[in-house]
Amino acid sequence: MYAFQYRKAKTLQEAVDWLAKDEEARPLSGGMTLLPTLKARLAQPSQLIDIAGLAELAGIENKNGVLTIGAATRYYQIATSPVVREVLPALASLVSTVADPQVRNRGTLGGSVANNDPAADSPAAVLALNATVITNKREIAADDFFQGMFTTALEPGELVVKVAFPLPRAAAYCKFPHPASGYAVAGVFIAQTAAGVRVAVTGAGASGVFRWSEAEQALAKDMSAAAIDKLTLAADDINEDIHGSREYRAQLVKVMAGRAAAAISGKK
Amino acid sequence: MAKITLTVNGEKRSAEVEDRTLLANFLRDTLNLTGTHVGCDTSQCGACTVHVDGRAVKSCTMLAAQADGADVLTIEGLAKNGKLHPAQAAFTECHALQCGFCTPGMIMTTAALLKDHPQPTDDEIVHGLEGNLCRCTGYLNIIKAVKRAAELQGK
Amino acid sequence: MDQHHHLFDVGGAHVARLEDLRLIKGEGCYAADWKLPNQAHAAFLRADRAHAKIVSVNTEAARKAKGVLGVYTGTDAFSAGYVKPLSMLTFAGKDGMKARIPDRVVLAHGRVRFVGETVAMVVAETALQAQDAAELIEVEYEELPVVVAPESALADGAPQLHDNVPGNLAFEQEAGDAAAVAAAFAKAAHVTKLKLDCTRVAPSPMEPRACLVGYDAGSGAYTIHVPVQGINMMRMQIATYTGVPDDKLIIKARDVGGGFGQRSIAYTEYVALMIAAKALNRPVKWVATRSEAFMSDSHGRANYITAELALDKDGTFLAMKLDWIADLGAYLHPAGPVSPMRNPVTCLNGVYKTPALFGRWRVALTNTVPVSAYRGAARPEIAYTIERLVDESAAQMNIDPAELRRRNFIPPQAFPYKTPTGSVYDIADFPGVLAKALKLADVAGFAKRRADSEKRGLLRGQGMATVIENSGAGMFPKDEIRLEVAADGNITAYSVSHSQGQGHETTFAQIIGDGLGIPAERIKLRQGIAEQGLIGNHTGGSRTIVGAGTVCSIAAKKLIEHATPLAAEQMGVEPSQVTYANGVFQSTESERKITLGELAAKKPLTVTGEGKFGSTFPNGCHIAEVEIDPQTGVTDVVSYVTVDDCGTVINHTIVEGQMHGAVAQGWGQIFGENIVYDPETGQLLTGSFADYPMPKAGWIRDITIADHTTFGTISPLGVKGMGESGCTASLGALANAVMNALRPLGVPPLDMPLTAHKLWQAIAAAKKGH
Repeated sequence: MYAFQYRKAKTLQEAVDWLAKDEEARPLSGGMTLLPTLKARLAQPSQLIDIAGLAELAGIENKNGVLTIGAATRYYQIATSPVVREVLPALASLVSTVADPQVRNRGTLGGSVANNDPAADSPAAVLALNATVITNKREIAADDFFQGMFTTALEPGELVVKVAFPLPRAAAYCKFPHPASGYAVAGVFIAQTAAGVRVAVTGAGASGVFRWSEAEQALAKDMSAAAIDKLTLAADDINEDIHGSREYRAQLVKVMAGRAAAAISGKK
Repeated sequence: MAKITLTVNGEKRSAEVEDRTLLANFLRDTLNLTGTHVGCDTSQCGACTVHVDGRAVKSCTMLAAQADGADVLTIEGLAKNGKLHPAQAAFTECHALQCGFCTPGMIMTTAALLKDHPQPTDDEIVHGLEGNLCRCTGYLNIIKAVKRAAELQGK
Repeated sequence: MDQHHHLFDVGGAHVARLEDLRLIKGEGCYAADWKLPNQAHAAFLRADRAHAKIVSVNTEAARKAKGVLGVYTGTDAFSAGYVKPLSMLTFAGKDGMKARIPDRVVLAHGRVRFVGETVAMVVAETALQAQDAAELIEVEYEELPVVVAPESALADGAPQLHDNVPGNLAFEQEAGDAAAVAAAFAKAAHVTKLKLDCTRVAPSPMEPRACLVGYDAGSGAYTIHVPVQGINMMRMQIATYTGVPDDKLIIKARDVGGGFGQRSIAYTEYVALMIAAKALNRPVKWVATRSEAFMSDSHGRANYITAELALDKDGTFLAMKLDWIADLGAYLHPAGPVSPMRNPVTCLNGVYKTPALFGRWRVALTNTVPVSAYRGAARPEIAYTIERLVDESAAQMNIDPAELRRRNFIPPQAFPYKTPTGSVYDIADFPGVLAKALKLADVAGFAKRRADSEKRGLLRGQGMATVIENSGAGMFPKDEIRLEVAADGNITAYSVSHSQGQGHETTFAQIIGDGLGIPAERIKLRQGIAEQGLIGNHTGGSRTIVGAGTVCSIAAKKLIEHATPLAAEQMGVEPSQVTYANGVFQSTESERKITLGELAAKKPLTVTGEGKFGSTFPNGCHIAEVEIDPQTGVTDVVSYVTVDDCGTVINHTIVEGQMHGAVAQGWGQIFGENIVYDPETGQLLTGSFADYPMPKAGWIRDITIADHTTFGTISPLGVKGMGESGCTASLGALANAVMNALRPLGVPPLDMPLTAHKLWQAIAAAKKGH
């Protein structure tokens, strides 16, 4: 790690002010991505502004059919929250597949959403559930928020404060983890809502998390693995590297989608 | 420089450290608690696992400054009044260690796992050990030891 | 019950390891845990390209950086003369060829040849300062063409790594009888040919390398704290590299966090630290990160073999021939090329009476991390080669794979058996081993299990490997164990052979305790104590129980022999009038007695036992059963059986633990571990635990372990060694199981790593072909 100054903000406003004054400063939440990046000397921020303890970023609330989770809520808090487990079990189950227990004890939902790693799990839930990302400045719909690998609608100095998930009728997430990193080689989140079905795919996209509209249409008619089986995923949108070819990732997306659909409907 | 005060193994410790100091290095180099090992630099191996405010964390992926005010437990503080923690006792009883390098992290993870799952299933154990690598044992005896630790803890 | 077996570990009773207590309390002392007063810290600048001329190295900014005490480059290393590493490749090759050993300046001088090579060293007051300053060094490179695949390196027109290694061919040898093999192939009813890659893997002991070097200007002695498999091996290599005499090199090691062959090398970093420690007259410490480990620790395996087996119409093996290319990386580690040149020849026929054998071996140099021994050190490779050939032949000839093996086994009555390449297998019972394994694996019920899997949409396969490997013989003239009795009757034992997790403190104490009739808990083993000046082998090649282990028993006997006249003198009787049992000498003439401790209180009581042993041949059969999900290509190992003959078992618990770990390493290599370099640039693409899939908990849920013992005749204890056999057998058993599952679909022979990706592709291709 290069040298930097560590500062713990007491309020959201303080954090925002500090970040505004120093372009080279970076917010630090759980640090599960940022600290390894710094350790590899791949980034050289002047300051780390610790926002993990901010009251404004805490809390889990279920009101009027919307589950709102503070950005600094750690994965284990979501996974073990009785509220989340009751009203949105697919999210509890998704976060319990993130990395490993130690990482889940530190990593936060907001940090993952803001980072938009193309192989992270949380963006799939946010996008499929049509969640709203609430920042210190505005509210951003999930469809507008994710803008490609490690890119979001967040402006400099803008911090994720909360994420609001409208509760679906049913939802499920299936993931094929990379055997070493645990990141998704392909992860598919399916949400069945009054407005229809939304399918978000992480891990496989050439430009980060994306919605798979053909699957949404097919599953709206028939929530089953068989419905997915008939589809072809355009391989040119799919990422390729030493961990998997396009064809293999496309296949895994189909298998994970089929398994998630079957988990919702019980239909193979 | 960051001024930090934290409780380590029940003792209040204060120090001034470079802001970029990792908790693992603070424990090892400043406090000389070398039982916490560092086996990788990408947060995979878990050899550096300690408890921060009762939860298992990888001390190589946390700044010492982030632990300011926290309660930290390391492998050196796990045995109480000369009595081994059930996880420690079970690891030797089940031959769950060979070279011993991953062992402190494995034991700290196990101790935390048993708090969440006092009677863990095999799947819960496997899932709970996802963040810890061992190159010697092939894990079978470690899984056995976690179960045995649960038994010992229940006694 | 046999005399050997009842001596130890009666009924498999569990003996808690004596080394465990400190390790579970965090009180172990690994290399990075050493501290010396006033120590400085080093960081290395490493080559960021695979092959380039060094045009210039500008260290000016680094020297001025905060806390920096010194910056050292290839010029310093070259003028120190730290240029020629030890090579153990001293025997002659084809047509008397002498090995071509490249120089390796400990800090690259003139040229870099792999990504990760040490280019410069910065020493500063803190490790972070040293790392910061290392980044300020400016190196101007002139890129050279890169070659990472060994076949390409040996091809005409390949980029040349070293002036004294034309064609990148460091060594070539042949073994066996080419004419007999040609004749046998000419009359064969069937020939099976396979191209097999034993992929390059990262041994990855969990403790990263670290080294702390102190220098005493008065005496000129260096104290080097470093992880080892044995201090003598390390000292010999450093002495050769530096010209510093043995008595000025004090190697210190206590706990070692895993080895697997990787610790047996005097790495360039260790030697470079000596330059700084002397120049600064301060202790200098370096602790590797895992990222550094991936690009600088020795890699393992990397053997590429074309193999052919000739059979007659009944499946009798007539001959086997091999064309073997060993990729040793950019430079030769001291023993790196010795393993693939020696071990496969020693067991070239495996467990079979194949009469004619021939092989050609070539050592290639490539722009990659140098390769050395990894658990088994080419024993797994030759066993894998033979067992893949046998299973493939069985399938092609439609013969049951167990039956084909039985037809070709060396029969139990044929021992001692002289092999076509000159080894003497002392004793074994291959049919007995196989029969026991077949029963434990419920081979009879496999067809039904396969049908059940099919109903669930899964492909099931079963595969076996029946293997043998050489152990026992060491490279040092003998193994010594010293016993020192204290006044309280407790005994300190000293050994050179160093545990890296194998549990010597327990097994050695059991053997000594057994010899003296005292509890193992009263014997404290100390390893890596330079001041004792003992001779002995490092721990490697599964040989420690045969060498140092057997000598423990010899030393115990010697202690009784040595102490008997002393006891007699104390009791005022003749030595012939003294008996010994359980730590007590007793006069046969009176009630007088004296304990070992009482004797030691009068006068220091120390003996040194010694012994030297030839090759032993542990062997075994492993049977794996797998289920493959054709949708994802994921393989689940649903059962795994091992039956091994490692001779006398000293401690069943430890033997089982070794087996678990070695099979896991075999599983890791078969299903995913694989070091990948970019073929164009030579960049390492799998350089962290986030890219390189280490086995994790849950890779298998259970292993059934049994032994089928024939007592070895080389060691009086009957032991044969066993630390590596799990790797040797598991590669073949697992790959054969996968092929057994896929062959019905028409999938052609595949090779490691059998990743989910590769299997899915193969299944998809086979389905398209139908």
